[in-house]
Amino acid sequence: MVRILYHRIKCIGCNGCVEVAPDRWRISKKDGRSNLIGGKNKKGIYQVQVSMDEYEQNLKAAESCPVKIIRLQVL
Amino acid sequence: MKQLNDVEIMAPVGSFEALAAAINAGCNSVYFGVEQLNMRARSSINFTTVDLAEIMHRCHEANVRAYLTINTVLYDHDIRLMRTIVDAAVENKVSGVIASDHAAMAYCKKAGIPVHVSTQANISNIETVEFYATYADVMVLARELSLRQVKEITREIERRQITGPSGELVRIEVFAHGALCMAISGKCYLSLHSHNASANRGACIQNCRRKYIVVDQDEGVEMAVDNEYIMSAKDLCTLPFLDKVLDAGVRILKIEGRGRAADYVDATVSCYREATDAIQEGIFTREKIDNWMRRLATVYNRGFWDGYYLGRKMGEWNDSYGSKATEKKVFVGRGVKYFSKIGVGEFKMESFSLKRGDKFMITGPTTGIIRGEVEEIRVNDREVEEVRKGDHFSLPVGAAIRPSDKLYKIVEA
Repeated sequence: MVRILYHRIKCIGCNGCVEVAPDRWRISKKDGRSNLIGGKNKKGIYQVQVSMDEYEQNLKAAESCPVKIIRLQVL
Repeated sequence: MKQLNDVEIMAPVGSFEALAAAINAGCNSVYFGVEQLNMRARSSINFTTVDLAEIMHRCHEANVRAYLTINTVLYDHDIRLMRTIVDAAVENKVSGVIASDHAAMAYCKKAGIPVHVSTQANISNIETVEFYATYADVMVLARELSLRQVKEITREIERRQITGPSGELVRIEVFAHGALCMAISGKCYLSLHSHNASANRGACIQNCRRKYIVVDQDEGVEMAVDNEYIMSAKDLCTLPFLDKVLDAGVRILKIEGRGRAADYVDATVSCYREATDAIQEGIFTREKIDNWMRRLATVYNRGFWDGYYLGRKMGEWNDSYGSKATEKKVFVGRGVKYFSKIGVGEFKMESFSLKRGDKFMITGPTTGIIRGEVEEIRVNDREVEEVRKGDHFSLPVGAAIRPSDKLYKIVEA
């Protein structure tokens, strides 16, 4: 399993994560920031646990994030 | 020279401290960003739409105009947020929106809020001025023009009688002071290329400011070019020739630096204010210029040059990393209380020491900036020479301070 952590308030809505991991990320029409699909908000940090199949593309999302607010923890 | 009483000094505001400093230093207007659609989206001290009411309240009270920047590249998914921000601006009676994307300009026009065309739109000729005149009364020219070109544009505006939506002649704004981009503003892809962080979405990583080595790929020979930071431009400073800038018909002087601290805003705004007033009164002397330049050098800067305005060749590059400020501030303590009758502030020392004769600076979201020299320090109402970490003490400050205001000691850098 892998846990994806996302500090949403700092997102600048560049769309980078959506380009590389469209199954897990979607830009909110409401405020232009990215939403972590399935993520639960814990004090501003959105978190979700997913299977290792998603590791590769979410690693790309983390690496491509210009403000470095996506983190992966392999469990 | 034309009448100068309509010259406007526009200050950068990235925090409430900077806002208070800008107002106290005598700016005519301020500009700021909310949420992420502005060129300082990465900066951690951005305002939110909730702060708009407070910003506007303070500006209205001080009779200062306030402009909101929405000047990044906009994608389809940003449109709704852009509209929300513009609507909030209209509701809070913001003086205008600084935009570069046509979608933002079009929506502002519909919403009935004045538009300034951002430097990100790179207006470099009179035809483009005419093109944007349908939308905007104020246009910020590209920072890469020479003053001769600027003058030509302002002269043509008068000749052709190019008017904005208000019916008044279009007013021209330029950047007078602050950081310059190594590329044409808004067209740099260096940060995007190396860190996937687009400067044009306000996420510039500023890697042009670093040191680079040129490698000859055939032989692997490395060259450090003249020991200079080959891509890091020095800061623009037009103060020594501000009379020429105003003579070119510029009516709004914008100071760059929404990511910089309140002391920078205070120093730059007050110097440019005094210089503009001096030009108006015909007392813009060499001696005064030297004094202002010394003051400007005390706050964050990468060394100064005159940008592209005087038509000189490119390549005034920086020779060191970070600031060349001649002074630096050291955090020493926080405000506790203010005794208004005697003009004395109580503080708590949190680090280092402070003694008689030291120069100090106090900053706070409402206080803005207070500078002074320590004349007297008292602990438990007894005069002392020096205070150290942990001490509670009082200090004559001259103006009101607030609890949690920060106290700095000013030392030579």
